[in-house]
Order: sequence, then C-alpha cells, then structure tokens
Amino acid sequence: MNHLPQSWGRPRDDIYGAYDHSYLQSNGPNQHTQSPIVTGTSVIALKFKDGVVIAADNLASYGSLARFTDVKRLRSFADSSIVGFGGDVSDMQYLDRLLSSLDTREAYCSSGHSLNAQNLHTYLAKVFYKRRSEFSPLWNQVLVAGLDAESKPFLASADLLGTTFSAPSLATGFGAHLAQPLLRKVAPDEDAVAKLSEEEAVQAVKESMKVLFYRDARSLDKYSIAVVTKAGIRLKEDEKLENQSWAFADKIRGYGTQVN
Amino acid sequence: MDTLVARYSQPMFEKDYTEDQLDMYQPAPSLSLRFAMPPVAQPSAWLRAATDDHANPNCPIKIAHGTTTLAFRFQGGIIVATDSRATAGNWIASQTVKKVIEINNCLLGTMAGGAADCQYWLAYLGMQCRLHELRHKRRISVAAASKILANLVYSYKGMGLSMGTMCAGVTKEEGPALYYIDSDGTRLAGNLFCVGSGQTFAYGVLDAEYSYDLSEEAALELGRRSILAATHRDAYSGGFINLYHVKEDGWVKHGFNDTNPIFWKTKLESGEFSNVTSELV
Amino acid sequence: MSAMFSQNPLMNGPNYSFNQAPSTAAAGNKEHGFYPYTDNGGSTLAISGSDFTIVAGDTRSTSGYNINTRYSPKVFKIGGTTSSQDDATLVLSVVGFAADGEALKERLDAIVKMYRYQHGKPMSVKACAQRLSTILYGKRFFPYYVTAILGGLDEEGNGAVYSYDPVGSYEREQCRAAGAAASLIMPFLDNQVNYKNQYIPGSGVGHALVEREKIPLGRTEVEDVVKDAFDSAVERHIEVGDGLQMFVITKSGIEEKYLPLKRD
Repeated sequence: MNHLPQSWGRPRDDIYGAYDHSYLQSNGPNQHTQSPIVTGTSVIALKFKDGVVIAADNLASYGSLARFTDVKRLRSFADSSIVGFGGDVSDMQYLDRLLSSLDTREAYCSSGHSLNAQNLHTYLAKVFYKRRSEFSPLWNQVLVAGLDAESKPFLASADLLGTTFSAPSLATGFGAHLAQPLLRKVAPDEDAVAKLSEEEAVQAVKESMKVLFYRDARSLDKYSIAVVTKAGIRLKEDEKLENQSWAFADKIRGYGTQVN
Repeated sequence: MDTLVARYSQPMFEKDYTEDQLDMYQPAPSLSLRFAMPPVAQPSAWLRAATDDHANPNCPIKIAHGTTTLAFRFQGGIIVATDSRATAGNWIASQTVKKVIEINNCLLGTMAGGAADCQYWLAYLGMQCRLHELRHKRRISVAAASKILANLVYSYKGMGLSMGTMCAGVTKEEGPALYYIDSDGTRLAGNLFCVGSGQTFAYGVLDAEYSYDLSEEAALELGRRSILAATHRDAYSGGFINLYHVKEDGWVKHGFNDTNPIFWKTKLESGEFSNVTSELV
Repeated sequence: MSAMFSQNPLMNGPNYSFNQAPSTAAAGNKEHGFYPYTDNGGSTLAISGSDFTIVAGDTRSTSGYNINTRYSPKVFKIGGTTSSQDDATLVLSVVGFAADGEALKERLDAIVKMYRYQHGKPMSVKACAQRLSTILYGKRFFPYYVTAILGGLDEEGNGAVYSYDPVGSYEREQCRAAGAAASLIMPFLDNQVNYKNQYIPGSGVGHALVEREKIPLGRTEVEDVVKDAFDSAVERHIEVGDGLQMFVITKSGIEEKYLPLKRD
C-alpha cells in the first residue's frame, strides 16, 4: 500500500491484472447478457381530458431487416389498460405471458379484478428492476396507458433498468426525438391535457406516427392505435398511415447532394 | 394437475422474498456481514470498473478519498490528529469530515481512504468490542481490537475495500497502545504513524520534533503542527484540525479548528512558513 | 459468505507473486457486459435551520440530452403511517439513478413505517440516518448509484440534515447540495449559509481577521436561498430545470411547495 488514499482498495495491476474497460463499454462483440435481436421501434402516447391515446407500428425488425410486418405491440390488460412495448420482441412475449398469468390470478380473486393502469405500471417496473439487478434485463421500454385509482388518465413509462416516469405525453426510442416535440406542443402540461379533446389527441398521435414513418428507417406504415377511457378500450390493430406526402422533401436544403 | 397449473401459471420470479422483506421485520439489525453482490463471475472486477476513478476518470461512482491522519504514543498517552477534507477527484466533497471515529469511550479509530468503509467497519468493531466486554467482563485490549479489524478486512482482500486506519487506546495491561491497520490486511504496532496522501509532510514535522517524553501540551501542539504542515503542502488535505488525546481513563477531545487562522497564527506569531508572503510584493 | 470469497482468486489459491503478475485483465468467464446504471440528472439541496429543515429538488428527469419528463419528484416524505404520508416526520432526497433512488426510498420507508408500527412512535432522524447508512453499505459491492440527503428535526427540535455518499458514509451538516449541479450550488451555499470567507472589513490580516457573525438564517431567508440556488443552477446546467419541489419540515408537520423553474 502506498501513501496515496486515491490508490487504496484499487486492485494493483501487478497483482490483480489491468483495469478492464470492457465492463463499461456498450459496443463491441459479446457485450450484452442478451442483446435485443428482434426489435420493435417507437411507442408513442398522449393523454387527453378523459383518457389516453397510444400507438405503435406493427413491425418487428431483425437488425436492419424488416422481418415481421404483422406484430401487434399494443396489449390490453383487464379491459382497462394498454401496454405498449418497444425493444426486444421475445422479452415482450415473455411479459405478455407474465401479464396473462397475473390477469388470470387476479380474475380468480374474490374481490374481482382491481388492478388499474397505475398498479400495472408499478408491477412492470418492479419486474424490470429485479431483472436488471440480476444482470439479466428484459430489453424493453414500455408505456402503460389507462386510468389511475381516481379514474383520471394515467400514462407512464418503465424500461429495462427499472427507470420510471410519467408525463402528459411519452414516446420511446426514436419517438423520444421525433414525436415527443410534436406531442409536447399539443400537451405541454397537465392543464393543456385537461382541455384536450379525444379527436385532437388522436389526430396528434396519428400525425406523429406519420412523421416517424418518414424518418425512422425501422418503422412501418401499418400500426396499432388504442384509446383508453372510462368507457373502455378501443383498440385498432390494422391501421394504415393516410395522406402521406413527400412534397416537403424537395424543399429540404443543406445536406446530401443538395447543398444550397 | 393442480401442481402443473401452478407451475406454469406462477410468474417465475415470485419465488423468493429475501433481504428486502427481512430487513423490514428487523428494523434495527446488527451491522451484518451480508452484502448484496453484483451477479457476475467477478464482482470485484465489476466493482472496480464502476468505481476506479484512478484508472478510468469517467467511471460513474466516485468514492471520497484523500487525507492526512496521524497518531503517536508518548509518556502521557496517545495523540491523535487528522485533517477534515474529503475529495472525489478534484472536487472537495466535504471540508468537515470527522476522521476520528469514537469506537467507544477509550478507543479511537482514524479514517483514511473510503469514508464509508472506515465508518462501517469501525462501527462494527465497536460492536465487537462491546460484545467482548459483556462476555469477558473487562475491556478489550487494543491489540485484540485491532486484530479483529485486521482479520476482518483481510477476509475481504481484493474486493475493493479501501481503508488505512489507526486504532489508539490505553489499557492497564498494555499502556498506551497504537496499531496501524490497512485494507491490504497489514497490522503493525508502533510508536508513531502518519497515514494518507499528506503523510510524508506530517512525518517530516513529526519525526523532527518527536520524543516519547514530550509534555502533554507539547505533544498536542506537535500533532496540530504536523497536520498543519500537511494541509499546507498536500492539496488533498485541508479543512479543520481534529485533535484528540487518549488517556487511560478515556479520550479527551481538543477541538475541531479551522486551519486557516492556525496557519496565520503560526506564520505571524512564530515566524514559521516564512516562504509565504503575507502581502503582494 | 463463502460464495463471495470463492469468487476471489486470492482466497482460493496461492497468491500471485509480483513477477508472475498477469499483464492483461484477469481471465475467467465474463458473461455479463450489461451496464445496470444510468444517470437521470437533476439536483437536490437541503438546509437546516434552528427549528426547521428545508429539503428541495428539481423535478426534471433526463436521459442523455432527452428530457424524460418535467415532473419526476426526487424528494420524498418517509415513514408516515399511510400511503399519503401526511404524518411523516422525515424527508429523503435521492439523486443519481432514479430506479435505485426509488428502490432505496421504498426500502427505507418500509423500515421506518415498521419501526413506527412496532415502537408506537416515529423514528428519530438520528436513528434513521444510521439505518440509511447501513442500508447503503449493505450494497457496498453493488452500490445504489444515488446521493442521498435525509432531513428532519432532531430530539431538541433543531433542524437536522444528513448527507451520504453512494456507499453509506454520512455526516450531519448545516447544508448540502447533491447531484448534477452540486458543484454549482455548494460554493454558493458555503458563502450564503455558512458565510465562508466573509470577514469584517478592516478587521486585520491573517488570523486577526474577524469572521462575519454567523446568524442562523430564518425560514423565509432560507427559502429565498434555495430558490436562488436553483434558479442559478438552471441557468448553467442542462440537467436541471422544470420545477422546484420544496419540503419544509417544522414541528407542526411537513409543508410542500412547488415552484416553476425555467423549462428550456
């Protein structure tokens, strides 16, 4: 031991071997416990005055290959909540089975089904956190949409590390960059949410899905969209993007071969 | 059939309720040796990757370091003195760290290296010392106490504990006794130790002026002056000077004083530090 | 225990000697490259007064350059008898990795609640502070990536602030800033709360300098200091902003305040 506390407790290279940077690197070969293989891209969601709209496209990519074009990434739970999955599809299917078993158990409860979207989100977040603590993460980011204990619109996110947060609008993956600014313009805060109608919310989400399809190379024009309100869930799984227009493209200047 | 259904309908991860729930039912557990480990083949290498800011300045978790501590034996007991600065990289995390840990009313430990390691294990040592008292109806010797700590940290060798500590106490059998223990497992008895990044500066002053026959007042002043020298020359040391005197009937605290006025007093009244100019020339 | 040591090469076989030291990283299977932490940014701050404590934190949650949400509290009431925490006496703030912070908060809350249930009285800050330290140290080898600050009132009714490092070393302090903007806020606090380096003009040089008298700040002054600290941090740090949540702990209970911060 030398006299510098800065070096104490640090295994000396001459005894324990060199510092191993690979633990902290996020690229390079065999780095991940399981890295995501077949993946889904963004999920986006927006609260409005009496519910939540949530959407995700129907594509499962295998790297850059658009492998499965009919994978539904929105899942309803207990006819009162919707979970939207981004990230690894096999982990999504595991969580799907898990939620089915939870659903079954809850349904057999004497008190009947009582798990709302908020409870569901807490449950999923704990599953994620436990798995990350075992270094065997479920490689997803999910959005949970529904109603909370007071039957107010509820929207929250949970991811592979167990990180959770809630906001008037949420988007995972590429959507966090492309869709979130558009959704935040419609609903910057809870006051704006309280004034937002269902039609406006659906319109904003559809518009965002279109923008995502324009610029996200791992996206598809077929998508699922769900509206959750007190009345229940309206889930449409075979929507198609409409009124696409690439007219904006020739106005874009400043990169590619078009310099000026 | 029921077992089959149960097996396939139960979520897989619902099998064990361990630490989280145990510690709820045991709100005041004794300091334990059960630690959560990262579930990897080499936890120590993993922990090092996450915390070794020396090898990787961008590592996410930086543990506080940097210190000057000293203790020496003399005819009137033992003087223990420390600075009070904690640094994480170049950031001064605190200027008011209590680096003398009162294990019990007649044993002191000093803290250098990882602050949490020192606090936890010296508290654990305090517990063991009290148990020894209850079991054997007499106070533990400093030799035995320091050996408990040394054996303990040795059993964690290579796991990344970081501590350089001194145990000081006075007992009837031993007289004033002073031991140095570090996280490599070293345990040494001695008259005089300085530990930490500022140890060289402290040794310089201490070795020059030390004698076993020092008066109590002179010994306290020497402890203070040695730490002052270290805080002056070592960037990782500073803050306040924490002074203790250990006697047979227990330790006495001699203040937690700002170094700055002590420095100016030493310079202007005793004429030392004449290399430092007090006005701009 | 044995499982732990079996993973340490030194405990099982003969030691390496210096001349046969491996020059590359230790061999052995390393099947896990998953990195279990992230930093969610944000900053927290706590100041204790003579009969109150204020614990505050911004409400922005970030990942990289993205803002996850503008309202994600990192200051929590601890140990009330109900889920609304109306009768809580302690406040915990956590900053760093939000999921670890949440786990830590829930664990401490459960313990403090259980203590209250078993002993019929709320846990003292001192006891809770020590307990929090052991919880953090229990994960010494797989740390909670959080900087915690605990606030409350001590047995005499004085404000108490305890600050922690990620592995549980702790200290009672007058004030402490933690998180992304700690390095911006802490020097301001040293100056404005502890009057560091403020001397009475013309009182002399060297040790003759007389320090400015340290008058304990009142509640409104401290609230202003907290607001100013965060407003300034927001100006200069990208991970801080959106909202300021403040808990004021007095003997009559805990009062919550929420103020907007700049959202850019």
